[in-house]
Amino acid sequence: MNIKKLAASIAMVGLALGAGVSSAPAATAATPVTLTIWTFGDVIEPNLVRQYKLIHPEVTLQLKKGDIDPQQNNMITACNSRSGPADVIAVEVSYSGWWRSYPNCFTDLRTMKTSSANANATKGVDKNGNPVDVTYVDSVGVRQPVGTVPSGQSATTIKSNYLPWRWEHGVAYNDSVIGIPTDVGGLEVAYRSDLMVKAGLVTAAQVKNGTARDVLAKKWPTWDKFIATGKTYMSKLSAADKKAGRGFLDSVGTIYAAILNQGTEKYYRNNGTDQGELIYKTNPAIKKAWDMTLKAQDAGIGTRIGQFSSDWNVGMNKGTFATMLAPAWMMDYIKQQAPDTAGKWDIADLPGGGGNQGGTQLTIPSYSDDKQAAWDFIAWYLAPEQQLQVFRTYGLFPSTKVIYNDPSVKDFKDPFFNKAPVGKIYSEGILKLKPIFEGKLNRGIDQAFGAGLGRVISGKKNDKTKKPWTSKDSWAMVMSEVEKLVR
Amino acid sequence: MSSTVASSSPSSAKKGGRPSTSPSPWRKKKQKPEVEFPGLRSLNGKWGYLFIAPFVVMFLIFGMFPVIYSTIIAFYNYDPLAGAGGLSLEGQPFVGLDNFVNLLQDDRLYTAIGNTFDIWFWSTFPQMIISIALAAVLRNRFLRAKTFWRTILLVPNITSVLAVAIIFGQLFGREFGMINIVLGWFGVDNIDFVEDSFASHIAIATMITWRWAGYNALIFLASMLAIPDELYESASLDGATTWQQFRYVTLPGLRNTITFVLIVGTIGGLQVFAEPLVLAGTTDGGSTHQLLTLTMFLYDQAFGGAGKWGYGAAIGIVITFIVLIVSLVNFLVTRKLAGGDEK
Repeated sequence: MNIKKLAASIAMVGLALGAGVSSAPAATAATPVTLTIWTFGDVIEPNLVRQYKLIHPEVTLQLKKGDIDPQQNNMITACNSRSGPADVIAVEVSYSGWWRSYPNCFTDLRTMKTSSANANATKGVDKNGNPVDVTYVDSVGVRQPVGTVPSGQSATTIKSNYLPWRWEHGVAYNDSVIGIPTDVGGLEVAYRSDLMVKAGLVTAAQVKNGTARDVLAKKWPTWDKFIATGKTYMSKLSAADKKAGRGFLDSVGTIYAAILNQGTEKYYRNNGTDQGELIYKTNPAIKKAWDMTLKAQDAGIGTRIGQFSSDWNVGMNKGTFATMLAPAWMMDYIKQQAPDTAGKWDIADLPGGGGNQGGTQLTIPSYSDDKQAAWDFIAWYLAPEQQLQVFRTYGLFPSTKVIYNDPSVKDFKDPFFNKAPVGKIYSEGILKLKPIFEGKLNRGIDQAFGAGLGRVISGKKNDKTKKPWTSKDSWAMVMSEVEKLVR
Repeated sequence: MSSTVASSSPSSAKKGGRPSTSPSPWRKKKQKPEVEFPGLRSLNGKWGYLFIAPFVVMFLIFGMFPVIYSTIIAFYNYDPLAGAGGLSLEGQPFVGLDNFVNLLQDDRLYTAIGNTFDIWFWSTFPQMIISIALAAVLRNRFLRAKTFWRTILLVPNITSVLAVAIIFGQLFGREFGMINIVLGWFGVDNIDFVEDSFASHIAIATMITWRWAGYNALIFLASMLAIPDELYESASLDGATTWQQFRYVTLPGLRNTITFVLIVGTIGGLQVFAEPLVLAGTTDGGSTHQLLTLTMFLYDQAFGGAGKWGYGAAIGIVITFIVLIVSLVNFLVTRKLAGGDEK
């Protein structure tokens, strides 16, 4: 072997390495198709993936699950190099403001048309090639067929199925549609009826005949009244209960986002540009939500427990707190974390009328190799029938408003939550919401305000004044932090 | 290949008669290679480059290039999603020294520097004492199962940083954390090991100490074993107590090792990242940035959702200068100590 050959072969290895870094894997063949899906949490449900495999034996759905923030960085890298092994990407609402500034990273879904691939989706083929009916069993044990999608559907034609304010989360500044909404969080109050009876806010008879949740909702039509109710609850607690850290609401910090999401504007105003106009200094809704949160803190209705901590899970079982602000997906979380409290929890309306927390859009990156197959999948997965199935089997609330009148949503009563008509409660709250504009740095600004409230709520000492943080000082720090962020 | 064999065989045939008990090759000076590559002779010295090529190529791609590129984007308001994409700087607004001017006026930078050095201080010096004490115990010639104890000291070091941070995060929990429960027995109020500035630094320092004390103990042990026994024997003949032996024989013998551990500790201390990230739960280091270290600050600005890549790159350059200054101090201290040894 001579040195030239050796050098050449090494150069080849080098080239191959370089190519591996920069180029996308070749998956351009028509059949079979591999769709790579970047997702997190339970956005893509395994049952539906199995059904899609029956309908399309030629399609392999490859799920890559990550966390929201690292995935954001992966998306930035992929879009920067205009390549990346992804055909479908789930984008969380808190980052939808960011991506609306970069429509060139996504496929405009108005230009996509569904093929006839899912026109007859109720028929599938099993592993051995035998024809099968594609069905699922819903929460009451009835076998249901999956939905079909006619050919020629684009984002424009399916738009009317979805909640208008949820649809906006997937629209870029230049009006191109970059994402289709999956579920919607909604937000209501989950409460422990046994503790409410103990505090004398409702009677045991009211809990039994199912009117307690209306009685409570009437006690807190506004946030002021909610705090007042909390104070009444606290006054009924024994000294020992208070010493053990019991409270009315699990975490007062959650009030801030709940109030803000009930408005029409947050930190940005939509002026039709990719950046949006910053209004965080002047928007009165922000200060109002901030002050109300700290009012709840001063009233002492909260516990010192942080959400999603191990203390929180323990508290959910022990009744350390009587209420929590719960998105629809939280119901499933409570069931899993506190199975022994079945029947004790119930759901009542959120003060101030309707709320939302969380939600996701499915997008197709502009660098996907298989846009047609990806769009066929999204259009099927997010079709009203499939969203209904997700609600029936997983309890995630659909953002397809056309199915809210379906009996299995409207009349759904959850035995775990004292037979509360959760489908009706959540859909009514969700329908009250208006579109709210999420700007580019929404998530970062939200975190700065959250940290600001945290400083005051935790009773932390201010190193400059040697006293606990005041609302005013903390607000000033938030302003300076956000200024640095948006600079 | 055949030509190579042909050319080498005559030479070995010539030497054939010589007994094979020639001295070991590494004792010979400037011996010519026995196997030669005719036609490649001029390249013989260059084979070395080939062997180091894998490292050099990787270093250039993953080490050198990012350094140069991030130095460049520190002068831009860089947005990877704008402009032409890829590595091109087309369409990226050039802002000159703006990032650096803003950074030097940013109180978070000074908070991060303060936090980093505070954590470094509380993790280095107590750890040094613990490590030397552990090494002194292990040096004891009557200790049984020496290998077992030495091995067990390394276990914390091979544990994943994340696992350590998560477990310690639970131990340091405010309401039901074990440390607060134990402190409660002695009438101490619950300490907030995340929100409180000083307590959070102690929590991080504890994690680092737990992870590295055993490792450094082994380094100290190796150094202690190198101290001749005669010194101890003569010390005990002179009537020195165990403490005096430790103070006047062991410690002076460890001086260079202490310097070494200090320097390595400084490098590690400037890179503290995973522990405060997990304990704070956010990339900004908590509500008053009480856990924000230098590397976390860089990460927060570039990858924490703020989208300030140019600013993050500027932080990286400032960190480089801080490391340079610290290294210079280290160098001066080391030289002085080494000079002291000669006297």
